[in-house]
Amino acid sequence: MDRRNFLKILGITSSTAMLSSCGVDKANEKIIPYVIPPDEEVYPGKPLYVSTTCTECPANCGLQVKVNEKLYHEQRSLYPTKLEGIPNHPINRGGLCARGQAGLFRLYHPERIKRPMVRDEQGNWLIITWSEVVTRIQDELQKTRRLGKINTYLSNHTNGTISQLKNQFCQEYGFERLPDFELFSHANIKKANQLVFNKQVIPQYRIAKTDFLLSLGADILETFVSPVEHTYHFSIAKKNQHFRWYHLEPHVSLTGVQADHRIVIYPESEIIFLSYLIQTLFRESHQKRNLPFKLLRSIPTYSLEETAQQTGIYQQDLQKLVGELSKAENPLIISGGISTAHAYGLEVAVLTALLQWILGITSEVVNFINARNYENIGTFLDINNLLHRLDQNEIGVFFLSKCDPAGQLPVDWQFLEKLKKASFSIGLADCLNATVRACNMILPLSHTLESWGDAQPFDGLHSIFQPAIEPQYDSKTEGDILLSLLNNNSEFSLYYKDYLFNNLKSRFGETNTSKLLQNGFIRTAVPESELSINLNQVYQFLKNFRIPQVKRTELLVFAPSIRGYDGRSTDLVLLNEIPDPLTTISYGAWLSVSEETATRMSLKDGDEVEVRIADERTKLPVKKQKLLPENVNLVQYGVVRLLSGSYDKRSGELFWFIKDIILSKTGNHVKLPVLSGSMDENGRGILPHVNEHAHEKEGKPWYPEHEHENYRWGMAIDLESCIGCNACSAACYVENNIPIVGRKEHLLGREMSWIRIQPYVQDNESIEFVPMMCQHCDNAPCEPVCPVYAAYHNPEGLNVQVYNRCVGTRYCANNCPYKARRFNWFDHRLPEPLDKMYNPDISIRDRGIMEKCTFCIQRIRAAKDKAKDDNRLVQEGEVIPACAQTCPTKAITFGNLEDKNSKAYKLAHSEQAYRALEELGTKPAVNYLGKKREHYEA
Amino acid sequence: MKIRIAPYFIIIYVLAFIIFVILISYFWQKNRKTPEQPINFSHQIHVSKVGLPCTHCHTTVEKSTAAGIPSVETCMTCHKAVKKESPEIQKLTKYWENKQPVPWQRVYRLPARKYVYFSHKRHIKANLECVNCHGNVEIMSIIKRVPKLEMGWCMSCHKAKNVSIDCATCHK
Amino acid sequence: MKPENMKELEYNSILEQDILDAMRKPHPIYWLALFICASFFVLGMITWVIQMLKGMGIAGINNPVGWGVYITDFVFWVGIAHSGTLISAVLFLFRAKFRNVFNRSAEAMTVFAVMTAGLFPLIHLGRSWLFYWLFPYPNQRQLWVNFQSPLVWDVFAVSTYFTISAIFWYVGMVPDLAIIRRFTSGIRKKIYSFFSLGWTGSLKQWRHYTRLYMFLAAFATPLVISVHSVVSWDFAMSIIPGWHTTIFAPYFVAGAIFSGTAMVLTLIIPMRKIFRMEKYITVDHFDKISKILLFTSLIVAYSYVVEFALAFYGGHKFEESHFLYRLLGDYRYLYWLMVLCNVILPFTLFVGKLRRNIPYLFVLSLFVNVGMWLERFVIIVSSLAKDFDPYNWGIYIPRWPEVFITLGSFGMFFTFFLIFTKVLPILSLTEIKEEAAE
Repeated sequence: MDRRNFLKILGITSSTAMLSSCGVDKANEKIIPYVIPPDEEVYPGKPLYVSTTCTECPANCGLQVKVNEKLYHEQRSLYPTKLEGIPNHPINRGGLCARGQAGLFRLYHPERIKRPMVRDEQGNWLIITWSEVVTRIQDELQKTRRLGKINTYLSNHTNGTISQLKNQFCQEYGFERLPDFELFSHANIKKANQLVFNKQVIPQYRIAKTDFLLSLGADILETFVSPVEHTYHFSIAKKNQHFRWYHLEPHVSLTGVQADHRIVIYPESEIIFLSYLIQTLFRESHQKRNLPFKLLRSIPTYSLEETAQQTGIYQQDLQKLVGELSKAENPLIISGGISTAHAYGLEVAVLTALLQWILGITSEVVNFINARNYENIGTFLDINNLLHRLDQNEIGVFFLSKCDPAGQLPVDWQFLEKLKKASFSIGLADCLNATVRACNMILPLSHTLESWGDAQPFDGLHSIFQPAIEPQYDSKTEGDILLSLLNNNSEFSLYYKDYLFNNLKSRFGETNTSKLLQNGFIRTAVPESELSINLNQVYQFLKNFRIPQVKRTELLVFAPSIRGYDGRSTDLVLLNEIPDPLTTISYGAWLSVSEETATRMSLKDGDEVEVRIADERTKLPVKKQKLLPENVNLVQYGVVRLLSGSYDKRSGELFWFIKDIILSKTGNHVKLPVLSGSMDENGRGILPHVNEHAHEKEGKPWYPEHEHENYRWGMAIDLESCIGCNACSAACYVENNIPIVGRKEHLLGREMSWIRIQPYVQDNESIEFVPMMCQHCDNAPCEPVCPVYAAYHNPEGLNVQVYNRCVGTRYCANNCPYKARRFNWFDHRLPEPLDKMYNPDISIRDRGIMEKCTFCIQRIRAAKDKAKDDNRLVQEGEVIPACAQTCPTKAITFGNLEDKNSKAYKLAHSEQAYRALEELGTKPAVNYLGKKREHYEA
Repeated sequence: MKIRIAPYFIIIYVLAFIIFVILISYFWQKNRKTPEQPINFSHQIHVSKVGLPCTHCHTTVEKSTAAGIPSVETCMTCHKAVKKESPEIQKLTKYWENKQPVPWQRVYRLPARKYVYFSHKRHIKANLECVNCHGNVEIMSIIKRVPKLEMGWCMSCHKAKNVSIDCATCHK
Repeated sequence: MKPENMKELEYNSILEQDILDAMRKPHPIYWLALFICASFFVLGMITWVIQMLKGMGIAGINNPVGWGVYITDFVFWVGIAHSGTLISAVLFLFRAKFRNVFNRSAEAMTVFAVMTAGLFPLIHLGRSWLFYWLFPYPNQRQLWVNFQSPLVWDVFAVSTYFTISAIFWYVGMVPDLAIIRRFTSGIRKKIYSFFSLGWTGSLKQWRHYTRLYMFLAAFATPLVISVHSVVSWDFAMSIIPGWHTTIFAPYFVAGAIFSGTAMVLTLIIPMRKIFRMEKYITVDHFDKISKILLFTSLIVAYSYVVEFALAFYGGHKFEESHFLYRLLGDYRYLYWLMVLCNVILPFTLFVGKLRRNIPYLFVLSLFVNVGMWLERFVIIVSSLAKDFDPYNWGIYIPRWPEVFITLGSFGMFFTFFLIFTKVLPILSLTEIKEEAAE
């Protein structure tokens, strides 16, 4: 019985006989059996895993959906309860970022569109049936034909089969399919590669393979093209002793603080820096490939002093950089993000490509063969063109699928007004957004986890979307809608699934298709092709080469955030509950200002300022941000609407910063939920290198120590590879039903996170991240003080909290030096329908109960249950806590410290290992691996 | 003058005792009451008369935390033919015809069970008989809860059998 | 009959008259006072109920400051309770006769204060309705309490203290009840008769009585030390800088007696005025008791100094930074106000005139009460606000439930005390008689 039938059955009965452990405690409750039982493999306590693909950003990581059978409103059914990365998936290798995991919050979003709607003359919404939808669209098309208008189809990043179907549909109905709309189109990089290598693509950057990484502005660990993949690669690269990473940026980013050398460069002065590099490399003849003289001459030459003066980089840094770059085996230069998103972005991209070429470009490091799938993605030239045509009333029926230009385009482009000029606009989306609200018709799309589909993250990799849950509302997949429109089939009896499978089978054949379904992805061979430089084209470009007049003005930088990407994720509550890693602000919008600006304008955190750009203005509370250069003011996409936008007329790249802004203090004060009490570690012994740790002296302990038979669960966290991305935190929230408490509670300092990322600024030049959770101490201060044994040390070394024994004295929390314990101040429950995602394997705590990290005891229990069946002990790697599982860099290792061969044991006893606040003698089971010395000396 | 204290004490004592007894009996009743079932299904007939083994209907008891309640289909396999005329079976067929699950009332409910992890599988694998906890269902025409399912009850057995009494074994 | 004998009898009857007058006609002002206190009490209780229903969150406590005003109040009230036993038992054993005029009300104060204090550990529980889990009693769960936990020690300390002080108070009262019995009639007579346990004042009874009283006094004396030491260990046994220190036990005991003595003054001075007890409670008495106040305040002042000395001598970075925070941090104003109330003002008692100036003593006693409350607040809150991990630093500001419940606790205390003044002899007749007889 295949999955579809299986889900069909569930559709019919949507009820199982399982005693779910997260039932409400009512006196007389029902136990509801199946009418018809499903196939054998499904029974309670045994979750299903469905492999599919993440669609929270264009990277398309592999997704493994945990599906649990559980009670919901007296109904027992299948619900996805957690998203994890597919292990050994070529992109994310089991890891998944916080945004990806928050996909669950989109699936169950309270603002999901429940049924198709259309506006009447008065502009009120009428609910209609799908068959009406088809007929209505048909005669709208009739109208526009008569009017001789063009029908257009705009959607966000789409590829794979659905893309074909769209083209087919567009041809059929004379639609013009506009290039896909993505705010971060990386147009300059594509254009530059097209100029230099005749390949208008974004290559794969194989960071793992390089020994010298030079990145300009590209926030490779946060949002740039494929962050999770980069992050994983980065963690591999770090293992290499000789790996060096220089990151140049005009502002401060999470990526920047991870680099061995973060160098602040004046905005727009990257060209000067790059020209200097190229010229010096040639002068000192470090080049691996030569360039024709005239081409070389067209690149301006700068002296060391000039460069330093123009770019604001210290001379010694420049020399050091050149030195190491010239020594590098196969260096990798990535420019992107903010460094290519300004008036000279194209030049930067071109010079980068050129530099890469000179230094020897191998598909090992820069892979043009398996290029990222960005060819459908349009630029702001296309958008502008669209706006123009809307203005001219040329647009007839206008499909907007899964994209929110109204919410994302700059305010002063007035997309909404122009959208109204389209004769009939149809918004397809899963959740309500600014765009669909303004459309004439809204068609509810099924969430990716409710639908079939496929994607092609990069050439040679194909991944599948499989439903993990029946559509919760009267929604359809884009495929189903298009098919039915194509064949004018108002019963929607044609399934996109069949279309998809025919397509897949024809492309990959039976066996590969089934493999695709099983693993969630397959790889196919891509014809190798030699990379060649188009010197003439480059020369033509460099001939009229403009040098920026770098002058420092007050800047407003719009940066993508690891929580919100381009803003598409900002309305997912989980990503608001989890703080921004650098500022630790959780809810609300803010403007990050430099220390200098703050002192100049005498601003405290939370003081409100008015930002004025030409005639646009907005009010924002400020947050002083360490490491932020002077005159640079930072806001995040999505958190703040892009006020006024301009773009590169050549490539269509959006500019990320706005010059000559005016800040003025309003005098108001806004309370900011800043979760960190202090960014300064004060030599408290939480970071390793601050005060060398007096490793606890061996000697006879005063009191008998705990006996552990068989197991002593422990953890090792490699601070070297932790990038503070908060994925672990997200995983923990979802896995353990941690209450989401909201802004008001955060302002009172009552966040509930079991694992949190603590940023500490080191002598004003670097930021260290320490993941902090319950340390499961051997001498736990929390244990002896509990009057009722709710907190106690169990035979496996876990520091157990027995929830329904807890009376709530909060003494344990007071006495915990790590403050890892969280008290339930209220009965916090997720609002419907978000509460569908509760994990049935663990309780939902009531008010007045203390809770904390349990090392995912439910997973330990499951593993032990399994082990006991074939009576053996739990093996290495059988238990993986949620945080360790999802960590993109695999920084967290969990294991049995009793087992001398376990990885955790070895790491815990390596010379790098130390324990936080060791001198208190708490004997934690969590071992931190301090950063290696050279990274500090560097 | 002499004051006699005894009578006061006696009166107070007696009153206290009466109240105590009343309370106890009330809670006793509350715990003992067995819910009304939509169909009065008799374990006695199915087990003693027909002689079905427990696992015939409670299929997942050996491989899952939950014993499992038979699907309506399972009931119908026999009752398509057997005892069609009896009113109770007609109730069942009605459920079957309009594809409705039977809303059985739960009899065995752990107190505060959202904080408790209990696995049938583990207890079966430890060679416990169903009877040990569920009593002689073969003689129950209407299923009743035999033990109180209180923590102490679990504890004493775990202690006697000398298996883990670590809180984390059962509490979640 | 001898004339002095006559005089004695006279004195006694006048005394009895006075005391009983105090018990007889309730003045409207009394009713008003009672009403106000009672309504505060009710308000507090309602707040508690709301807190139980909605969750601890309505109070201001948070992470990291898990203990706030509630525990402060607890320690404060236990402290108040102390001087009662001190005055009645310890001074009794030392034959300090001036105690006789204070001891009855002091003991009453003790009992009520302990009752009030006893509520707070329950109020501050996240799940107050499960408070009985803190008592070791055989249960079907086969669970026991954790005797390692200072909180369990608390349960014992406080309950013991309540039992002993209540018995002590009651036993001391028996002869007086017997006297009152004579002057009352109807149901009241019955009640008094019942509680005077058939006291006839025979020599035999007196002999037993004095022995018992002496024994109880001896029994109660160590509690003065033990109870508040245990309370102080709630903090001292933890690892939090500012809490984890060895001087806490004596420090808290001294503080307790200090605050308790102050509270005695706060209560007795108005009482003396209202019930016209000037001829029994004389200025000399006040002079003596304010010497106790001064003495204890000296000890307290010393402890303040030692606390800092230890922190900085120890050279423990957490301790050091914490005590700097206490001096200069978010709660500095409270700290300095506390120093003013507990050290600077009481030191004025070195001046003999001020010791004998009743209104001054009254005002001073109020300051000391405030000061001692602040002391506990500063110790508890500021220590939690900034402990080990900088990420978790935070501050705590009480919100309305804390305020109302604290007011409620005062309401409760004074309600009981007011009732006491009307239904029981506020002075120990027999003892004053003895004193007079000698």
